[in-house]
Amino acid sequence: MPRLLSGALLARRDPRLLKIPPYLSLLLIIVGVAWLFMLPLDDYSRRTYISENALLPGQVHTYFGGSDQNVFRAYKHEITALENSTNAEANDKLESIFKGLGLKVGRQNYTYHSSGNTYAGENIYAILHAPRGDATEAIVLVAAWRNVKDEFNRNGLALALALTRYFKRWSLWSKDIIVVVPPESRAGTQAWADAYHDAHDSAKVASLPVKSGALQGAVAIDYPQEGRFEGVHVVYDGINGQLPNLDLINTFVNIASGQMGMGSAIQEMWKHTDRYNDRLKTMLRGMVNQGLGHAAGPHSSFIPYHVDAITVQPIGNGWQDEMALGRTIEGTFRSLNNLLEHLHQSFFFYLLMHKERFVSIGTYLPSAMLVAANFTIMAIHLWIQSGQRSKVATAGETDGKDGKDGADRQEQEAPSTDAVERDLYLPLGLVAGSQFLGFIPLFVFNHAPAGILTVLFYAFTAFSLLIPHVISPLLISNFKPTAQQYKLLSSFSLLLLGMFLSALATLNFSLAFLVGLLAVPLSFAYPVRNVLLKYAYALLLTLLSPGTVVSIAAAASGVGLDVVLREAAFGWTVWGMYTPLVVWCVWWPAWLVGVVVVLGRVQEDRNKEKSS
Amino acid sequence: MTTPALNRTAGLYLAAATLRLLLFAGFPGLPDLLTGRVELSTPVDSFKRLQEGLFLYNHNVSPYDGGVYHQAPLLLPLFSLLPDPAAYPIFTYVLYIAVDLLSAHALYQIAESGEAGASRLFKSPRRDKKWSGYAVAALFLLNPFTIATCLARPTTVFTNCAILHAVAKAIAGSTFTAVLSLSMAAYLSMYPLLLFPPLILLAYDRTHGAKSQSLLLFAGKSTAAAVVAMLLFGLSSYALTGSWEFLDSTYGIQLTLTDLTPNVGLWWYFFVEMFDSFRSFFLGVFWLHLSSYAPALCIRIRHQPLMVVTLLLGVFAIFKPYPSVADTSLFLALVPCFRYIFPLLRYSFLSASVVLYATFLGPAFYHLWIYAGSGNANFFYAITLVWSLGQSLLVSDLAFAALRDEWEVERPEMKGKQIRQI
Repeated sequence: MPRLLSGALLARRDPRLLKIPPYLSLLLIIVGVAWLFMLPLDDYSRRTYISENALLPGQVHTYFGGSDQNVFRAYKHEITALENSTNAEANDKLESIFKGLGLKVGRQNYTYHSSGNTYAGENIYAILHAPRGDATEAIVLVAAWRNVKDEFNRNGLALALALTRYFKRWSLWSKDIIVVVPPESRAGTQAWADAYHDAHDSAKVASLPVKSGALQGAVAIDYPQEGRFEGVHVVYDGINGQLPNLDLINTFVNIASGQMGMGSAIQEMWKHTDRYNDRLKTMLRGMVNQGLGHAAGPHSSFIPYHVDAITVQPIGNGWQDEMALGRTIEGTFRSLNNLLEHLHQSFFFYLLMHKERFVSIGTYLPSAMLVAANFTIMAIHLWIQSGQRSKVATAGETDGKDGKDGADRQEQEAPSTDAVERDLYLPLGLVAGSQFLGFIPLFVFNHAPAGILTVLFYAFTAFSLLIPHVISPLLISNFKPTAQQYKLLSSFSLLLLGMFLSALATLNFSLAFLVGLLAVPLSFAYPVRNVLLKYAYALLLTLLSPGTVVSIAAAASGVGLDVVLREAAFGWTVWGMYTPLVVWCVWWPAWLVGVVVVLGRVQEDRNKEKSS
Repeated sequence: MTTPALNRTAGLYLAAATLRLLLFAGFPGLPDLLTGRVELSTPVDSFKRLQEGLFLYNHNVSPYDGGVYHQAPLLLPLFSLLPDPAAYPIFTYVLYIAVDLLSAHALYQIAESGEAGASRLFKSPRRDKKWSGYAVAALFLLNPFTIATCLARPTTVFTNCAILHAVAKAIAGSTFTAVLSLSMAAYLSMYPLLLFPPLILLAYDRTHGAKSQSLLLFAGKSTAAAVVAMLLFGLSSYALTGSWEFLDSTYGIQLTLTDLTPNVGLWWYFFVEMFDSFRSFFLGVFWLHLSSYAPALCIRIRHQPLMVVTLLLGVFAIFKPYPSVADTSLFLALVPCFRYIFPLLRYSFLSASVVLYATFLGPAFYHLWIYAGSGNANFFYAITLVWSLGQSLLVSDLAFAALRDEWEVERPEMKGKQIRQI
């Protein structure tokens, strides 16, 4: 063992060892990306299964139907009559309907301000007390007046009312059922979920007058389309990429297909062949949704509170009617009603690639971690390099040759322990400075009024593309940074980036992976000597700057930059979405330092002075 | 000390105070958020629990009823003098800022004394390379850990301040004040008791003259003074609360670890998992382990008592029953005094990165465990292990560097050579 140890100690002095890290780092990136593309294969993904035995999906008879269809039609008339009335008038009507059913009703006002716009409304909700329960647990049924696309959720609301009336007749509920009707799908449920968990800012959101027990699950109905449908689309992405327990999705899909003979789709993949291409496409769409971290439906706001939630949307033209959807929801509620404890058995971290196929965190996390590790490895590598005595490459080579002769053997065996003193102040100051600079765009874009957001964004993008070209010459003329200082600069910046991304990968895998991938060229940044190469590298980094990427992505997706920016500000202020924070305070500072390093010029004379 | 230096230091203190006040004023939610973090507030120093104790105390109920308050009784009259922190938080902020500045000033004196590089028995050949008191105080005051601690307002900052003053006074040669100050620290948090041996050695070395008394006599006298001081603190606490209940609630809980709230230390998880029948045995083992460092380091690094104090503070920040970031910030405050042995550190980058990683992953994993519900206690415990690993790397590396520095004085021919175990 001691022999082995001393052998290892000698080996670590081998100059060849120091050449490995950049290649290792590149290898990690390639493996990390390849890993992701392996996931849709049968050998790496698994079939979904119901993990919680208490759920027993599809094991009960569902009785919603028959005369309930007339009730549904009656409610639909009532709702249609309210289409053009104000929020308060509609809620007055709904209150009388809920009171007529014998439910406790509560109303809640909320007002959010974001990008100079005001988002105000009034939620109404009713609590159906469980005949067999003690009001310690509850299930939520959400039907918003308008869905995320701002369509009138006529059938969804009517179905929710019909279901409530139907549920009231049964005595088998062991958990309370809460019907929540927000005026729209983005801020309303957020206000309600915040206030339910007493996490609201009482200046913006009113407290709830009545409450029930701990929420065990939530299902939102989004049913604006008329006529019969073919299947259901399950939306499951939560805020900040958090996901509901996989058991909830499985239960719904299982009941829909097994009991009702209804197809289901995820991630807007209307036709899914369950082959590699479609699986990969589904997975990537899921990752983009997760990475953006926005609310995909009214259910999203529940997930941060550890309430598993999904939104169901009927899709296509088929022979299923609203009663079938009602029975599917009834079945899901009966399953949730069976739960003895909070959903915990199945997975919270997964990527779905088909409604019945997924990979769990243990399988996919390495790919993001490998990308994050590449930054850390490069940071360590640059740190070690910055402590090396011989900096000029030729000098290092001759040293190696001399060592082989044996003349310098003595020195090889007892190499010097003390590394070169590192000059830390300039690199540390620059890295800290760029990190602090990141808070400026974060603040500006979250507080500027919507009208000037796009202009501001272009101005800031142009500014941030130009500023390295200003900082770099200033740095060179004022501080005359050495090669060591540039290495330390990269090292600290990459260390921070790697650290943030690996911490983020545990919270939001997709965001960490996407940012990591876009930041990959930063890990190989160094002060390039060749002018052509230098500007080519700088151009590559310019193309991959946060501002450029956001603009290009907004244009490519056809959403429009103004919408993206407004959504980001709205997400930050209302949903607590941290994607802007990651972009401006993790990615942007690292990018800035990367470009400054690439544009840098090593002061040769000082270097020689030092080494002599 | 020249006037410009004094002005510069005053400017630093002013800047640090302004920064803290700005943070308090600019982010009103931040202090309460940080107060709730387990990394910053432990059962024995949390500001929230202090509020609870204060409420009971002001309503003439024993503050230890209800088993929430585990801090020293003498803190209560101090805080009941201040207006209600919920209504006028500014007074508590000012108090905590003042304590931070006092600590920084003690640190300034410690660094300026030059004791770190040149003690009575050992003068390091490298001692010329050092940081001024200004730089050391700046590193303490601008350390994010210190700032976070100040905002979270745990009562550990009083202990830290007392410890730093004890060291500064011992270096200044006023043994009695040093012993009194450390007795205060020991009264507040108990574990500083273990710092008495190196502190007495430090005071002895600094007061050593031609006709000085023997170390044994000196130690005996100092110990007697400490015992008397602590008796006085204890008696005044008895007079204040009217019972000896506080002994069990403040020191008893540290000895028996009955409150298993998670923290950044290594004890809570271990004792959560422990079967009751082994509990007392392992409590003994853990305490024995913790206290064994003090005599061992005092003997081995006898020549540099300030280094022993620093290393012990590092050990406490890792192994004491309820450690928090405040303890780490105290340890990190003293480390820059030893600027001259930094070139001998072998794992500075590694330990710094490990501590940084743990700083970011810790809250993330705690979130996964407590809020998202998708992780469990093992996540957070794993990260506290990493946190402790980072710190123990730094402690052992510092001890290595100190010993190597001493060794190179004995064996000048080995200077700069790599050593290998044979």
